[in-house]
Amino acid sequence: MLKYGGEYTIKLPREEVWNFITDPHKVVPCIPDLIESNIEGDNRFQAIVKVGLGPIRGKFKLDCELSPIEPGTAMAMPIKGGGMGSGVEMNANVKLSDTDNGTLLKWECEATISGPIASLGGRLIDNQAKKIIQQVFENLEKAFASV
Amino acid sequence: MGKSIARKEDPRFLRGKGRYVDDVILPNMLYMSILRSPYAHARIRRIDTSAALAAPGVKLVLTGEDLAKMNLAWMPTLNGDQQMVLAVDKVLFQYQEVAAVVAETRAQAEDALQLIEVDYEPLPVVVDPFKALEPDAPILREDREKKSNHIWHWESGDREETENVFRDAPVVVKQDVRFQRVHPSPLEPCGCVADYNTATGRLTFYVTSQAPHVHRTVIAMLSGIPEHQIRVISPDVGGGFGNKVGVYPGYVCAVAASVKLGVPVKWIETRTENIASTSFARDFHMTCEIAAREDGKVLGLRVKTIADHGAFDAAANPTKFPAGLFNIVTGSYDFKAAFVEVDAVYTNKAPGGVAYRCSFRVTEAAYLIERTMDVLAQRLKMDPAELRFRNFIRKEQFPYKSPTGWVYDSGDYEKTLKLALERIGYDELRKEQAEKRARGEFMGIGISTFTEIVGGGPKNTFDILGIKMFDSAEIRIHPTGKVIARLGVRHQGQGHETTFAQIIAEELGLSADDVLIEEGDTDTAPYGLGTYASRSTPTAGAAAALCARRIREKARKIAAHLLEVGEDDVVWDGTAFSAKGLPGKSVTMKDVAFAAYTDVPDGVEPGLEATYYYDPPNLTFPHGAYIAVVDIDKGTGAVKVRRFLAVDDCGNVINPMIVEGQVHGGLTEGFAIAFMQDIPYDSNGNCLAPNWMDYLVPTALDTPHWETDRTVTPSPHHPIGAKGVGESPNVGSPAAFVNAVVDALSPLGVEHIDMPLYPWKIWEILRKHGINE
Repeated sequence: MLKYGGEYTIKLPREEVWNFITDPHKVVPCIPDLIESNIEGDNRFQAIVKVGLGPIRGKFKLDCELSPIEPGTAMAMPIKGGGMGSGVEMNANVKLSDTDNGTLLKWECEATISGPIASLGGRLIDNQAKKIIQQVFENLEKAFASV
Repeated sequence: MGKSIARKEDPRFLRGKGRYVDDVILPNMLYMSILRSPYAHARIRRIDTSAALAAPGVKLVLTGEDLAKMNLAWMPTLNGDQQMVLAVDKVLFQYQEVAAVVAETRAQAEDALQLIEVDYEPLPVVVDPFKALEPDAPILREDREKKSNHIWHWESGDREETENVFRDAPVVVKQDVRFQRVHPSPLEPCGCVADYNTATGRLTFYVTSQAPHVHRTVIAMLSGIPEHQIRVISPDVGGGFGNKVGVYPGYVCAVAASVKLGVPVKWIETRTENIASTSFARDFHMTCEIAAREDGKVLGLRVKTIADHGAFDAAANPTKFPAGLFNIVTGSYDFKAAFVEVDAVYTNKAPGGVAYRCSFRVTEAAYLIERTMDVLAQRLKMDPAELRFRNFIRKEQFPYKSPTGWVYDSGDYEKTLKLALERIGYDELRKEQAEKRARGEFMGIGISTFTEIVGGGPKNTFDILGIKMFDSAEIRIHPTGKVIARLGVRHQGQGHETTFAQIIAEELGLSADDVLIEEGDTDTAPYGLGTYASRSTPTAGAAAALCARRIREKARKIAAHLLEVGEDDVVWDGTAFSAKGLPGKSVTMKDVAFAAYTDVPDGVEPGLEATYYYDPPNLTFPHGAYIAVVDIDKGTGAVKVRRFLAVDDCGNVINPMIVEGQVHGGLTEGFAIAFMQDIPYDSNGNCLAPNWMDYLVPTALDTPHWETDRTVTPSPHHPIGAKGVGESPNVGSPAAFVNAVVDALSPLGVEHIDMPLYPWKIWEILRKHGINE
């Protein structure tokens, strides 16, 4: 089980941030190395992303669901999928709270990885995951800036 | 015999002229690849193979369901269990075989694997064998009648007598010892080519096999193809070490695919497949207790073990010994009483449990007793060599019956250890160590004096799948005196072509150059149980010698005819036949051979050939004394093996150079196990070392310099007094390495460290004690 987490301040009111992160049309373009996406409804989407971990290179197909727990404040985001003979399951949780100059976004993510990615790429995963997370937030930052 | 003649097989290996399974290329041959599970435990809800079937070049996709229609969904293991060939309903370990794709090229087959969609529902994973035994643990094997992860309980020795000895003993030491999961990791992975001829109904099966005849019998039992219609050919094999005894799902799928398609199908494993899915070794969690007197004389031994067998009990052990020969755990010492119990457990790990370069778990046993003897020595503040001398089975006690029922044939343990101590300069090394300790440096000397148990084995107790473990030889002498000999064993680099030629040449008074050894083709070789457990020389070597003697008996009749004397007056001097009292007149085996086809006396059948099936009266018990000298770097925890001396006693030696080569190889493997090899699993059952990046194989740069020597205590019951040596260095050396490292750290109060001895483990111990802040 891999655990990641962090927080991030956005200079926008909480409602706007909430509307953004619960809208697949807005979230999907922030996914790094996205090859293809398919938005299935108000809160579900599929994404095909490019993965490269040391000797392993290929595509992951992911199923995601944006599920509000407490409207305006807390959301869960289970992600399940895999590729190249490997599987991945993630449970991400996002919490929003007001701050003086905008919104504080706190997030946590637990991931379970199985298959050659876990075996072969095991020791590379951590750095790669951090890089992807950083990219997600860079993309979010750009997207928020244009809101 | 006893001469280091150059290996007959080497010219072809050194020039790249060997022929391995992957070199077999047949017309119209297709290639198979296997889809493996990413999960260690998951229900399979659905498998969709349609996209894979439509992919370029794909001819066939097999799933468990397809195999079920052919009655091949499950196969028997070598140890009374059954194993899924391709996963049905659920997967039980990561990298388990789920589907197979056959295509025109290997690349097409690999690509098509990616198109198979499997819908898995992950289930709770059990990787810890102790947790697997808890009452609320998930049941892994739903196919079994017994709804528990416990496979079997096995015990040996006298429980009550041992309890009594322990009750009254003045000193008792107890130590938990883990022998980690390791893998034989031969240079050539497993593989096969199945070639089924639909017109003749014949299956020719090329396979990387240590036991081609057993593979033929198993394939006949599984496939329904009559045994005489199956020809198993094991060509040159790039290392076995126990890994190539078993029957793997890939073999079954390749046969099924060839039968379905009517063309040859090749399957060659990748390195990852080899490490992650074919038979591992060890994985024993052991607790050892020794009861002793204050003066160090040992009295009783009590051992409790949990054996992690993975998802299927596919251990290669004779069926009467579920825990193999682990009950030789009393080792080289004269214990009054011993009691050993082993419980085997299912977990979500790769199945197997092979005797990696050892005779059915002797390595675990030798490691355990040698480690615990050192714990006792340390507790009693006694020199470990002295403790061993006080407890050795003495020369005059042989044949010696151990408290767990083995009858040791011969040995002289004192002599061997004495030689080792002298050669290494033990007393000076201890002085040097004391000086270094005074300076705060960490130097260690580790001793291991082990007894092996090889030559499996006598028919009353040894078998594989019920087939008794005799072995065989067939010798044919042609008119010009040249010999072809065929044996039931199958070498994987051990030098049989030279060793057996030397034995036969010696018995027949010929040159080893006159003898060609053939093995590995079930159409030509007599039935044999194969090469593993150091059994080739003890069984097939004996068969070869006795077969040659059988020929000599017939040759005597012909010689009598040629010498024109009565048969009783013919004498054999090792090189020729002569007539008693008639000096100067003799006939060689070459003369006799020509006469056997041109001039036989009335009543004698022409030709000169014989077959011999040898059932050994007992096992053989080689032994050794190994000493490791190490220095530990305080800054990094790295261990430098400064010297390593192996004194082996394997009875009479046929080719000293080959024996030395075997010892070097085995020591290198033992070194790897002690310092760098382990197959760990994370809590999700992900195999964390399925490749040579993470599962380390020592190179020439890593490997210490080996010093070797030998004593000779012939086996009293073996026709040429030989005992077998291939595994001894792998059995005896891990304990010597660990004993040396623990000895180095003993001033810190360290009594035991589990292998592998990674530098960081030692660094942490040093740091904990305030060394190298």
